[in-house]
Parts: sequence; C-alpha cells; structure tokens
Amino acid sequence: MAGSKIFTRRRDGRVEVRMNDYGRSVVRSAFANVLAAERDPDHEWHVSLTGPIDPSLDQDNPVAMLARQTETSTNAELASLTVDEQFLNDAEAWVWLTTLQVALRSTAQTNGLLTDELLAEADEQMLSYVRTIQSLLFDLAACF
Amino acid sequence: MASTQPLRRTTTEGDVQTEDAVETKKPWNVIVWNDPVTPMAVVVVIFRKIFGYSNNKCTQLMLAVHHEGRALVWSGHRERAESYCVKLQVSGLQSTIEQDA
Repeated sequence: MAGSKIFTRRRDGRVEVRMNDYGRSVVRSAFANVLAAERDPDHEWHVSLTGPIDPSLDQDNPVAMLARQTETSTNAELASLTVDEQFLNDAEAWVWLTTLQVALRSTAQTNGLLTDELLAEADEQMLSYVRTIQSLLFDLAACF
Repeated sequence: MASTQPLRRTTTEGDVQTEDAVETKKPWNVIVWNDPVTPMAVVVVIFRKIFGYSNNKCTQLMLAVHHEGRALVWSGHRERAESYCVKLQVSGLQSTIEQDA
C-alpha cells in the first residue's frame, strides 16, 4: 500500500519522512550509537566498525583507517542532525541509509547473529528490533 | 580576455604500452561477504551508488553474495581496491580486499 510507506521520493527530488515519535526514537538511538561507537573504543559496536580491510596484514593502512573513521562519523553526525526533519535531500537520505545499515550490522555482529540459523534463534525483542531497522532500510532503499 | 587554448589532445600515440612494458602485478580484489540481516535491496543500492554498475549487474553481484557467501565486486590497483573497500564498510557492508591468487 503506497500510503503506508515511511520514506517517499517526491517530485522535487526530496525524500519525505512520515515517521511517528517511536520511529524517530529508534533511528535517533541508532544514529547516536554509531556516532558513540566510532569515538569510544569501549563501545560494544566499536569492533564491528573497525573490521579488517586487508586481513593478510597485521595492521591496515592508517590512511584508509582514518578515511573510514572520518566518513562514518561525518555520516552519523549528519544523520543525527537531520533526525527530526520531514524532508531530506539526497545526501541526507543517503547518510540515513548507510548509518542505519551500519547500526543493523553492528547489532547483528555484537549479538552473534552471524547466520540465518542464529538469527532465527534470537529472542523476540532482538528480532523485533532487527525487523524494524530492516523495514526502514527496505523502504528507504526504494527511494534510490 | 584570456585566449582559448584547445583542451583536447590531438593524439594518444605513445600512451599505449608495449607488451614488454606491461606490468604483470596481480590485481587486488574487493570482496563483499554475506550476512543474515542486510536487506537485498540495500546491497543493490549500495553497489549502484559506489561502483555505478547497472541494476542488472548489481543484482547479480548481490545474488552471488547471498548464495555463495561472498562475491568479487571489483578488481584492479590496490589503492582503488582499498578505497572501494572503505566505502563499502562505511555503507555498512562487510568487505575486505585480497590479492588475486
């Protein structure tokens, strides 16, 4: 049903966000956690944001690592700054998508949801959270 | 007023390397790994945005990741492979680079 879409690409190119307070609180929390995890080595999501680029090396190229850190932070900052907006431009909608995707994969990795079988065995609260983020991502991806 | 100089080169002669001069370094591959939570549509959109591939090619690559657990999505010089890998990671996909065997 077209009317039930949370994200809609308008004729003027902007992406309209039709999200209730609960939805906003979910994405606000996801964006804030990505930002915090990038800055705090003790954050439970930090490891998932710093995976190897070239696993054959003991340490990755510092320039590439810095680029990843900077870009992830910049995306999460812009996403956080626009979390209450009703309309997003293309760049803002893109950082919403990438930051939500980072949050989803970090959640899965942190909770050991690494296979379909393990995901199926997750508790109901975790499954509900994963499905909510997946649903938002699916809807947002249709705008690109 | 500044004079307008032609911007286009008149020839590309000399740009083509001879067989002897071609380097035989093995290319670097960008690999994307499967995970059980990322929606397929998101993978397609990210591939299209980062590599500019057609929708068909992005879908084929996404299906390869899904069914085979991993897919080679780009191959070439190390620096560019590293840069693409970072862009994929920043977009939330699990990606690594490896030199061609």
